[in-house]
Amino acid sequence: MAGMRYSLDRVGYDVLAHALHRCGREEFSGQLRVAGVPGGTFHLRAGLVVGAESPGAPGPETLLLRSGRVSGEQWAEVVRESGGARWPATGLIARGHAGAAQLRVVCVMALHDAAFAIVAGRVHGCERVAGAEPFATVAVGETCVRLLQDATRRLAALATLPHPLRPDRERPTPAPGVDPGPLSPLQRALLDQADGRSTARDLAFRTGRGVYTVTVEMARMLADGLLECPEAPVPIPVRPPPDGQGVRQRKPAPAASRAAAPPVSAVPPAAPDELPRRRPGASGIAEALAPERTGASWKGFFRLRNGAPK
Amino acid sequence: MDREALALEMRGLREQVTGITDTAVAAADGLLIAADTADSIDPEGLAALAAAGLGLARRTVGATARGTLRRTVTYGSHGCAAFYAVGDTALMVVIGDEGMDVDGLHRASQPALDRIDTILSAPAEKAAEGV
Repeated sequence: MAGMRYSLDRVGYDVLAHALHRCGREEFSGQLRVAGVPGGTFHLRAGLVVGAESPGAPGPETLLLRSGRVSGEQWAEVVRESGGARWPATGLIARGHAGAAQLRVVCVMALHDAAFAIVAGRVHGCERVAGAEPFATVAVGETCVRLLQDATRRLAALATLPHPLRPDRERPTPAPGVDPGPLSPLQRALLDQADGRSTARDLAFRTGRGVYTVTVEMARMLADGLLECPEAPVPIPVRPPPDGQGVRQRKPAPAASRAAAPPVSAVPPAAPDELPRRRPGASGIAEALAPERTGASWKGFFRLRNGAPK
Repeated sequence: MDREALALEMRGLREQVTGITDTAVAAADGLLIAADTADSIDPEGLAALAAAGLGLARRTVGATARGTLRRTVTYGSHGCAAFYAVGDTALMVVIGDEGMDVDGLHRASQPALDRIDTILSAPAEKAAEGV
């Protein structure tokens, strides 16, 4: 297990720390884009970090939707009412889907989680982009120093666990033949979802929890013997084409033979060369809406209204 | 066809791009060749859907004079599914969650598509098994 021990990407971390400290010193407003794996973006206002997003950590929307606090339909409705806003906080509160304090907490959690994911990964470089207002921000920004300290403190805490785990590397499976005993809802969800193909980061997205929370919980479950890291990755079944040759170019069949070709399962029906041309009057709607030939239309209308016989 | 090389390419793409959850490679007519998918996904059906989707997209691009089809991406509230043509003979499906950087995926997938095309064009081995 010593091979799994955390080693901070020292060079990348120094690049990130230098760029963030400079943003804070110069009271920069805009984006600090971090290239790397998973990388991400810090949103700053007057040198304070007011938002962060990373492919390595679920954002506020994912936390709300995947945790089941807000359904996909409710979210779509609120976004529609808010004129297509990416973070429709006012609508969510007005409709009673979430409280204002709850949304603030979700945004703060997502900010710190994204910072953790960026620091825990590899940083290749940083680039500043001025302008570009973020869509989900915290009311009181974090200083760059404190945000970095918090992320490194979390990394250090993770590294002290008996079975540390990297958020985007190991893909554990449930340990066979182990009686799990009483489990917390998160542990139950992780045990159900761990399939040897998903990292802690993947399971954080799937369960709608913070990536740090899920990584720590999975590390504990590894230590308790509930999960294990398989030696070899899950095999990928490969089935070569049955004719023994490589995949060949599909030749379009002539129009005459195409109609006579037998249907093959899992093959989409061959598209016709031309779309069918619509014939005027085919639907019959013109006849249905046409005024009566035998009488004036207004006359007919009043007959209909008064229930008078023709 | 080098089955191990194909599996390595699929696994490599998943390792390279954060957020990829599933990948599959199929012949252009929708016949499944390889699948790295979760149990909840029917890979045969997915391959058929991808073939139909790419066919429709290719015709749409032609009908609207938009040049050469590059890919189709379908977005849902829990992520997206991207269908890529692999040369003229095959296709690749990449499914990702909400966190997947789709632009990053397009950049990373292009070299992988070229290599997969080369792998698929080579004569096949006899047995089929997991790699």
